[in-house]
Amino acid sequence: MESAGEYSRMENGGDSKKSATGKESWNNGIRTAQNMSTSLLRKKSDPLLVSKVRFQMLRQLLANLQEVILGTKLAVLFPAIPLAIAADFYEFGRHWIFALSLLGLMPLAERVSFLTEQIAYYTGPTVGGLLNATCGNATELIIALFALYQSKIHVLKYSLLGSILSNLLLVLGSSLLCGGLANLKKEQRYDRKQADVNSLLLLLGLLCHMLPLMFRYAATPGVLVAESTLQLSRASSLVMLVAYIGYIIFQLKTHRQIFDAQEDEGEEEEKAVMGFWSGFSWLVGMTLVIALLSEYVVGTIEAASESWGISISFISIILIPIVGNAAEHAGAIIFAFKNKLDISLGVALGSATQISMFAVPLCVVVGWIMSVQMDLDFNLLETACLALTILVVAFTLQDGTSHYMKGIVLCLCYAAIAACFFVHKIPAPLEQINLNVRLKPSFESSV
Amino acid sequence: MASLQEPWLLETGNLKGCSKEIRHGRTAHNMSSSSLRKKSDLTLVSKVRFVLLRQFLTNLQEVILGTKLSVLFPAIPLAIVAECYGFGRPWIFALSLLGLTPLAERVSFLTEQIAYYTGPTVGGLLNATCGNATELIIAIFALSQHKIDVVKYSLLGSVLSNLLLVLGTSLFCGGIANLRREQKYDRRQADVNSLLLLLALLCHSLPLLFRMSGASAALTADPTLQLSRASSIVMLIAYISYLVFQLFTHRQLFEAQEQSEDDEGISEEEPVIGFWSGFIWLVGMTAVISLLSEYVVETIEDASDSWGISVSFISIILLPIVGNAAEHAGAVIFAFKNKLDISLGVALGSATQIAMFVVPLCIVVAWIMGIKMDLNFNLLETGSLALSIIAVAFTLQDGTSHYLKGLVLLLLYIVIGACFFVSKTPLSNGIDTVVGA
Repeated sequence: MESAGEYSRMENGGDSKKSATGKESWNNGIRTAQNMSTSLLRKKSDPLLVSKVRFQMLRQLLANLQEVILGTKLAVLFPAIPLAIAADFYEFGRHWIFALSLLGLMPLAERVSFLTEQIAYYTGPTVGGLLNATCGNATELIIALFALYQSKIHVLKYSLLGSILSNLLLVLGSSLLCGGLANLKKEQRYDRKQADVNSLLLLLGLLCHMLPLMFRYAATPGVLVAESTLQLSRASSLVMLVAYIGYIIFQLKTHRQIFDAQEDEGEEEEKAVMGFWSGFSWLVGMTLVIALLSEYVVGTIEAASESWGISISFISIILIPIVGNAAEHAGAIIFAFKNKLDISLGVALGSATQISMFAVPLCVVVGWIMSVQMDLDFNLLETACLALTILVVAFTLQDGTSHYMKGIVLCLCYAAIAACFFVHKIPAPLEQINLNVRLKPSFESSV
Repeated sequence: MASLQEPWLLETGNLKGCSKEIRHGRTAHNMSSSSLRKKSDLTLVSKVRFVLLRQFLTNLQEVILGTKLSVLFPAIPLAIVAECYGFGRPWIFALSLLGLTPLAERVSFLTEQIAYYTGPTVGGLLNATCGNATELIIAIFALSQHKIDVVKYSLLGSVLSNLLLVLGTSLFCGGIANLRREQKYDRRQADVNSLLLLLALLCHSLPLLFRMSGASAALTADPTLQLSRASSIVMLIAYISYLVFQLFTHRQLFEAQEQSEDDEGISEEEPVIGFWSGFIWLVGMTAVISLLSEYVVETIEDASDSWGISVSFISIILLPIVGNAAEHAGAVIFAFKNKLDISLGVALGSATQIAMFVVPLCIVVAWIMGIKMDLNFNLLETGSLALSIIAVAFTLQDGTSHYLKGLVLLLLYIVIGACFFVSKTPLSNGIDTVVGA
């Protein structure tokens, strides 16, 4: 392992003098909750095989390859990527392309998180934190941008909403449940200030979603509100982006101490295992492969929905986010087992806040630039699910302790919402009819 | 008393209720209704010569006359007479309602007696299931007569009554009586109950919004039904894990406070009737409750017509007040004594039981009977439920109390009552009223 590190340091030149001294502070700053959670899925590469190869350059390349491709337990899913590409070329069933692309996205998402962490060793804690904040949910963002590009606005809205719901209910619920069952005798506490900040930002996001929705219902019938709703959504997106920037400053500069992951006594000082430029080029390459697979996913979603008999909303809200989040999910559960709830909460809530306050408004702004009519109106049922979810989570986390009952309730909330979207078979064109739906008081609607 | 215990002990064999376990079996429910009991005066009975007759009369006296509510017992035969001789149907309704009040309390008493013999865990389970026997029986009768609206309204009214009326009056009276003292309670119990009620709210809101956002009534009726049935199973799973939580793993959060030294009269209580006699009385009383409930459900429209009040008001406000009267009184009395944990245990525990057990159970029973009952309780009712749950969760989240909290909850209940007083929705038999497009 040392030899690979040495070569990469020599390759990078000027970085070597920084590497020795500031390493402790870098490690403190860079090991955010998200990094630590996915690090559990890594495995140390065995360099013995590689060191037998004679040529140095080849040895470097193979070490690098082994580190990146085989460095995770999810690597078993990597063969799905070439299979997906082959399925596209040789015209296998389109739902096969969909399934294989989904499977291939799982290890890719985890590797991108690993590479971001590696690059962050070289760039310092602040830029590293920013990189994490932006690339942490790269998969969801890329899927969303492709859906935007193909003008499948409902897939876009559903998948982003599904990511938020999955993070808030499934990841958080299963972590609290497993942690509660594993630590029945111990008291489980966490710092509620972090949970409070995230809940507050999610409530702001909820307000920005509900205003365009209620605006549509409140207008007198006959008046076209699509244009005003669009302008309102765009303005709200700018507000949400400002809030997100404020949150980043809060998290990385002024109030770091609330968010610092707990120090782990047993782990040694970790060093970067590859050079900056190799990490960067791997990152670019993997992002391209993610983009390709995302294009397949968005392109074949209707075909998969038809052939499997499941509604598009269920696939977008439930299946795609579970896949995209699998690595973080596993990590959050493992940390909850060890009674390190702050990290699990940081992962789940941090991802939800990121998607709600960064990915969604970013898509609205990109849609603005591309002149696509994307607004923040996610329809009544979806917005209500989001509202109730945020309410339940904010209430659950506001006292600073946890037990398995909280986890059970959150998981069952997710099950109820999943059942709701399983039976929700609204084809896309019918969405336009919602414009004419008015709420009538129940005592007027007598049969 | 001791000499009379022996024959019962001989009859029932081994008495499992040693003192420690008896203490542990005293959940909040038990303790609250025990305040309405009165000690039987056995001197009259002890003069009777034959031992067996004496036993029987003691038993009778203990069960029938052992509560202050027994003055209402004559309403039961009067109701049966009214039914047989064809008196005005509103009279049958009113008399049945009055008769149900002491019966509900006696069922709770009998459950407690049986719990002495079965140990704390089964006793807790018995309490959890039979605690709201009246509401459950009324609901099942209404279901069998296809009056789905009455089922929905009465169950919703029970939840609202427990959350707002019982809790509000307890906090209000407790606050007024203890103006100088600080009133604290353990908020963890309140938190768990509020969380389960929020889950119930989610399961109620989803079918409602599904109908409202759907294309047309015909298209969404079936999926709404499937969704409701799936959500009911989810709620039952949550209730079972709540029982496991409450009775096995986290008992310490829910145990009723130990009676302290300065207590007036409640010493170590022993069961006053044997296991089998208690069981027989329980079965008998349940049968009478079923009879009265059938009268109530049959005559509810006639009572509504002749009194000029809407059916929804009777179902949401009147029925639950009657069914809950004993627990209500007990909760208020314990709040006076500044034992808020017990009052909260009664009110929140009942609300959680109805929302997470009785409602999904009715849907499953309807599923088995082939009746189309879903969780869509219509906009106004679900909105009231949502705001009540949010208000109560917020009220109870800090662990202290004062009379203004109780007053606010009471006023909330009055507003909701006024709302249903003026809303005159006609009953539809089995067809959901369509809301929205």
